[in-house]
Amino acid sequence: MMVRLAVRNIFRNRRRSLMTAALVAMGSLALLVFGGFVTNIFAGLETGIVQNGGHLTVYRSGYFLFGPGNPAAYGIDDHETLMHEIEADPVLHGMTRVITTSQSLVGIAGNFSGGTSASKTFFGVGLIGADRERMHTWNDYGAGRVYPPDDRLLDPTAARGVIGRGVARMLGLCAQLHVPNCPAPEARPAPEGAAAPLDPGLAELALGEQGPAPDANAAPRIDLLSATANGAPNIVGLEVAGVDIQSVKEIDDNYIAMPLALAQQLVYGRGTHKVTAITLQLTHTADLPAARARLTALIAEKQLPLEVRDFKEMNPFFTQVVGMFSVIFLFLTIIMGVIVLFAVVNTMTMNVMERTNEIGTVRAMGVRRSGIRRLFLLEGALLGGMGATFGVVLAFLAIWAINHGGFVWTPPGNTDPVPFLLAWPTRPGLLFGSWFGLVLVATLATVPPSNRAAKSRIVDALRHV
Amino acid sequence: MKDPVVRLQHVARAYRTGAVTIPAIRDISLDIAPRVFTVIVGPSGSGKTTLLNMVGCIDLPDSGQIAVSGQDVLALSDNTLADFRARHIGYVFQAFNLIPVLSAFENVEYPLLLLDIPAAERRRKVLAMLAAVGLEAQANQRPNELSGGQKQRVAIARALVKEPALVLADEPTANLDSVTGAAIIALMRQMQESFHTSFIFSTHDERLMKEADQTFTIRDGMLVP
Repeated sequence: MMVRLAVRNIFRNRRRSLMTAALVAMGSLALLVFGGFVTNIFAGLETGIVQNGGHLTVYRSGYFLFGPGNPAAYGIDDHETLMHEIEADPVLHGMTRVITTSQSLVGIAGNFSGGTSASKTFFGVGLIGADRERMHTWNDYGAGRVYPPDDRLLDPTAARGVIGRGVARMLGLCAQLHVPNCPAPEARPAPEGAAAPLDPGLAELALGEQGPAPDANAAPRIDLLSATANGAPNIVGLEVAGVDIQSVKEIDDNYIAMPLALAQQLVYGRGTHKVTAITLQLTHTADLPAARARLTALIAEKQLPLEVRDFKEMNPFFTQVVGMFSVIFLFLTIIMGVIVLFAVVNTMTMNVMERTNEIGTVRAMGVRRSGIRRLFLLEGALLGGMGATFGVVLAFLAIWAINHGGFVWTPPGNTDPVPFLLAWPTRPGLLFGSWFGLVLVATLATVPPSNRAAKSRIVDALRHV
Repeated sequence: MKDPVVRLQHVARAYRTGAVTIPAIRDISLDIAPRVFTVIVGPSGSGKTTLLNMVGCIDLPDSGQIAVSGQDVLALSDNTLADFRARHIGYVFQAFNLIPVLSAFENVEYPLLLLDIPAAERRRKVLAMLAAVGLEAQANQRPNELSGGQKQRVAIARALVKEPALVLADEPTANLDSVTGAAIIALMRQMQESFHTSFIFSTHDERLMKEADQTFTIRDGMLVP
């Protein structure tokens, strides 16, 4: 009877109740749509990172903090044995999708054969092209970029690689590589006075590289100069197969990717070839804690001087974006909660005032104060529940409409526009959390008016007109 | 006289408005016999409603003793007093005070819900009571679909359905025309006799006074002979 009475009381003043429920529904709609947006951002960002860098990476101890300054000094000894042990591990085997190795390096890239004598520093990576292709297909959330097949790095023996657009720009390769939005460097006036003499070895190399004028249709070649692990300079030639635009300008201005063997040749010369990282891409991110624990235990068992880092540690940007959107979501939740709170307080206060005489009547008939309180709290909860449920339905309709609207945008961490999609808010924390949260707020908003109703004196309530 | 259904001893009640104290009831003592038709009469502002409220346990005196059905009601806690009202006291209000969102059936059923009576028994009692007041056909109608007389019949059925020891009615015919008022008085008298319940009215209505088995006259908060 109490539920029946509460439902009927809600519809006693339909317009007021519907307006209040609509406000709750708007709160629910806003939270779920924004939640879907945020979920999709997180998923897209994570997918982009995992597609390129995997979930877990094993480095030589100290590499994470100091290695990028001198990658050659942080090579992993006997990495092939460790790779086999990881592949053979029964726990990791079931979780892991790709295990691959890479070699980081720093050096100077020069376009001496193009006749420009342009050069610049670079951060390079040597990788296994086939593994990179497999890693690019990871799309656990259906929210990532779809990479077209790319064979530029597939031949492990080729001296062929790709560079960032910034590198192409600064080395004057944009025209040859047909890179859009990539201007040629401005001609600089010759410096006054005598030019610094070029090292005789380099001068000879440059002379030899210049040769005849380059073929406009042939892939350009650049030279990469780096220091080996022993500190000696080493040079390799690289055919530039194309440009891979990086989302962060500083990386784009320095990025060169090449086959692992070429990078190892540049860094280790004739010495033992090592790698700076063993990367694991898991089938599901949810397995990350277990996989990390197992990998760490494996390394500890072997007493290897290695450390394990996950993709969040290696990409603080990801954690920062998650933190920022979480704070915005919290802020929105608080605003919606306050709006719903005041709307329900107002509605229920008016309900109590209008029904004062009725409250006196049922109290005279024997209803306890707690019974009055329960009735109004139930009405508040039902009002909130109605609104929140309606909001869920609206949110699903809105998300469907947006996802079918054909909108595009460039999310953080991406270089190209992607479809603007919202994740379905089916995550229990979001869906049920927002629903119960709004119902709770609506119920709590009813506490002051219900207390006032319960505490009123019966004879005063009966006299109320 | 049998044990009185209501006993008031030196009951006093005053209302305070700011610094002004207005005495509503001054040292009233009375016994109301069980299963009789009792009328409290007096001019407006004489204290009839205040007296009825205290007998009905919805207002408490400043001093004195009140016993209803042998129970010292001043000794009861707020919750126990509510339970006592639910079980022993029925009300008929001048403005009917039906719950507008409930049908006639549900309004009559409401007091039984407070007593946790099983659904089947509730239904039987409610239908019997609606039949007794001649409103079987209107069971599913809401108060706004009923006439004034019908509303008061529903209110009488609601007050009697739990078979209380005491039914209180505060000027029950004041909002009714004379013909309907007479019919309601006749109905209440008939119901009182059928259910052997004690009825206490406050009224100006001379027709009600004529029906009374016991009459108390109150003026300026005091009983007058």
